[in-house]
Amino acid sequence: MSAAGGLAPRSEGQTYRVAIIAALVLVVMAPVGLIIYQSFLGAPFFDKTARLSLEAYDYVLTDPDFWIALRTTAIFAFGLVAVAVPLGAMLAFLLSRTDLVGKRWLEPVALVPMFLSSIVLAFGYTVAVGPSGFVSLWMKETFGFKPWSIYSLGGMILIGGLSHVPNVYLYVSSAMRSLPSDLEEAARAAGASIWRVSLDVTLPMVLPSLIFAAALNLLLGFETFGIPLVLGDPSGIVVLTTYIYKVNGIFGTPTYHVMAVVAVALILITLPLVYVQRLLLRNSRRYAAVGGKGARATPLRLGPAGQAIAWSVIALWLIISVVLPIGGITVRAFVDAWGEGVRLRDHLTLAHFAHVLDTPSLYRGIVNTLLLAVIGGAFAVAIYLAVGLAGHRNKGPSGALLDYMVLLPRALPGIIIGLAFFWLFLFVPFLTPLRPTLVSLFVAYTVVGLSYGLRIIQATLMQVAPELEESSRTTGASPMRTWRDTVIPIIRPGLVGAWSLIMIVFLREYATGVYLMGVGTEVVGTLMVSLLTSGSMDQIAALAFLSIIFTALGLGFALRLGARIHD
Amino acid sequence: MTDLSVANVEKWLGGNHILRGASFEASRGTIVALLGASGSGKTTLLRCIAGLEQPEGGRIEIGGNVVLDSARGVALPPEKRNIGLVFQSYALWPHRNVFDNVAYGLKLRGIEGQEARTRVMAILEKLGLGHLSERFPDQLSGGQQQRVAICRALVYEPRVLLMDEPLSNLDAKLREDARYWIRKLILELGICAIMVTHDQAEALAMADHVLLLQNGVIVQSGSPIEMYSQPATFYAADFLGANNVLRGKLTGACAIGGEGWSLDGVVRETRPLAVGEEARAVVRTERISIVSGPGENHLQMQVDACLYLGSAWEYRLSCGALSMKAHGADQLPPGPVWCAVPRDAVWIFGADGAA
Repeated sequence: MSAAGGLAPRSEGQTYRVAIIAALVLVVMAPVGLIIYQSFLGAPFFDKTARLSLEAYDYVLTDPDFWIALRTTAIFAFGLVAVAVPLGAMLAFLLSRTDLVGKRWLEPVALVPMFLSSIVLAFGYTVAVGPSGFVSLWMKETFGFKPWSIYSLGGMILIGGLSHVPNVYLYVSSAMRSLPSDLEEAARAAGASIWRVSLDVTLPMVLPSLIFAAALNLLLGFETFGIPLVLGDPSGIVVLTTYIYKVNGIFGTPTYHVMAVVAVALILITLPLVYVQRLLLRNSRRYAAVGGKGARATPLRLGPAGQAIAWSVIALWLIISVVLPIGGITVRAFVDAWGEGVRLRDHLTLAHFAHVLDTPSLYRGIVNTLLLAVIGGAFAVAIYLAVGLAGHRNKGPSGALLDYMVLLPRALPGIIIGLAFFWLFLFVPFLTPLRPTLVSLFVAYTVVGLSYGLRIIQATLMQVAPELEESSRTTGASPMRTWRDTVIPIIRPGLVGAWSLIMIVFLREYATGVYLMGVGTEVVGTLMVSLLTSGSMDQIAALAFLSIIFTALGLGFALRLGARIHD
Repeated sequence: MTDLSVANVEKWLGGNHILRGASFEASRGTIVALLGASGSGKTTLLRCIAGLEQPEGGRIEIGGNVVLDSARGVALPPEKRNIGLVFQSYALWPHRNVFDNVAYGLKLRGIEGQEARTRVMAILEKLGLGHLSERFPDQLSGGQQQRVAICRALVYEPRVLLMDEPLSNLDAKLREDARYWIRKLILELGICAIMVTHDQAEALAMADHVLLLQNGVIVQSGSPIEMYSQPATFYAADFLGANNVLRGKLTGACAIGGEGWSLDGVVRETRPLAVGEEARAVVRTERISIVSGPGENHLQMQVDACLYLGSAWEYRLSCGALSMKAHGADQLPPGPVWCAVPRDAVWIFGADGAA
């Protein structure tokens, strides 16, 4: 009966909302607007001779390499979905609906690939199963041949797919957890085997979340940068993001207009995907509301044979997607020579780390990364909270606008957001002094993490029952006072959890800094990208290892705080 | 003195007309109950008074101040209305202990320190909660939470106390006690209280004035006794009490009958009824008694079943197509009995589906 209605319109809360949403529109639309503007210029925007033209579009649309890159990107993205969705759904079923042995500790381990940046993962695969990787060499030594090649589109798809399994797992498992188990028990009682139950009952019930996960991963596939850069580039396989990255090198001069056109093309693909996701999410919530009434989760019994089969599949997946890359990096970071007939034990060394710490730029990179993640992460959460409150119980048109503004950055790969902010910090006079500081990176990171961070904050805010706010209002507190005295104190634990998750997001970020990073503002992830060009594998290995350690610490911190990875 | 005046409040939600011009007044030292089935708009009306919902039309005054006037574009937010609201779920703030929950309203009004302490402790003591002031809401029982919620809404002496189903989350025994002490407390404090309830016993026992809502309209208002004994419409007659609804035809100016039965009664329908017209009669079950033989307005009926309710027996009676329920102290064997239905207990209404 008591549907949440609109409160009195002319309150101080409304003024706050309008101000915050206007600021958000500015920060999100400015880079997008600049990219679109640049794409219609014949030269870089700061060039005095630049004027409106379709020259860049003409160049890109007639460049066969662009079309090849577009085709490759599409194949990669769909391939990734085809690998990740079935595996993720199966993993979700086994971990959330069955009595699989050891599922309690398996879950955090299974999520690991999601928390590592794809540049670290891709590098891990290179040193483990690449042409001269540890495992490849061992294969050759033992069997005399190596039956795979990861520097191929197939290899990229497989690795990309496996590393995106956790993204599918998260969405599908949270849908499965809210499924009342009596539906499955009824099917078992009627004589269905556990595999039949999963196919005939569980799967159709969670179909909306499955479709959502597929759309999300398709989007991530179109935006991936690390895997194609590390694995595709050596054999000349180019996708749209690496096309943007490479196009400068082809011309030798800044080709901002060409980069902008490719960015626009990418946005035209990703924006509809984001829109579709929004529709799906709305529908799947409606769908879930039908079932989830005090879901009592009685796990399905797998039996000895089932346990054995399930564990072999999971173990294989874990070895390929966790043990191989992380093991490869760990070994690579501590040895100075390897190859056929070389005993790794004789070549253990800490020299790579010493070298990293001795090199000022690399050392600064570590410090900056930690600063951005820990302090920047806290500021970002404060900003997300300010935005979250502006949208909290805001049913008006400004609330809908906020929703779209938050989704928009999702359609932008990190590399493009970084590029746009780089331009913005060049273009806007009063921002120029901030460009060579960490502030520029912080702003870009905050926009990159906006939709993820806001989703966590919104989920936390929704846990505050509306009556708790209404009772504060009827007791005599204004909306702002209610937020300060009631809402924020109640969600404080959730905010700390959000901080830890944003920390991880900022730790692993690498693409955003590709253009923004300069002397003094190095960050670990982006340093790995630039070291890749010079082939300094020793330093990359050390940095990748440190990056894994930082992420592990952040993840440990998050789990300790009971952060809800499931949202 | 009129502390609350509600006039022609109109509220739409989506395409639904939730409130269709509700009007009433309430004064100091009285309790008004908004009674109705779910979906009747009673909670929406309360939330409109509190300022938690924004009505499309109407005028509301609290303590002489206009808090809503759609014609002049006045709509004060809840915090400016000087009200106290007790929520159905109590809505105690989980991060504050009992003392701080109650003291918050004073703090917002600039009352802190010793004076706040005295006032908070006074009201907590009054409701027997003095020893719990350091506890947090999750350490309290449901009944204690409810009393804290009432303290919190009363401590700053609002002009109007609003209560949304204040008893619905209590178990049956506590609820009966609460009816008594909440009424006593409000009368003692001499404030104006409005409560929403779907429970007729609660409304009749606690309120001085009952407003019966149906589809966003106040269909009848009056004292509990008037509401129960002189219903103006079929809906009001049927909503209150435990009833038999008899369907038949008007067989005389003041009589209703069907195949094999006929009863004299009183016509309570507002429009004139014609003899021979389809009609309905409402008879409260407690007005039917079992008698030894025929007489005026006695019917011979068949005992179909006899159910034991603990405090009494419920008889299931029938006579052809007519069936009725009645109560009595003794078990009856199946078979024919005579029932007495007093003339003034047979309320005759028209048969149209208007209500």
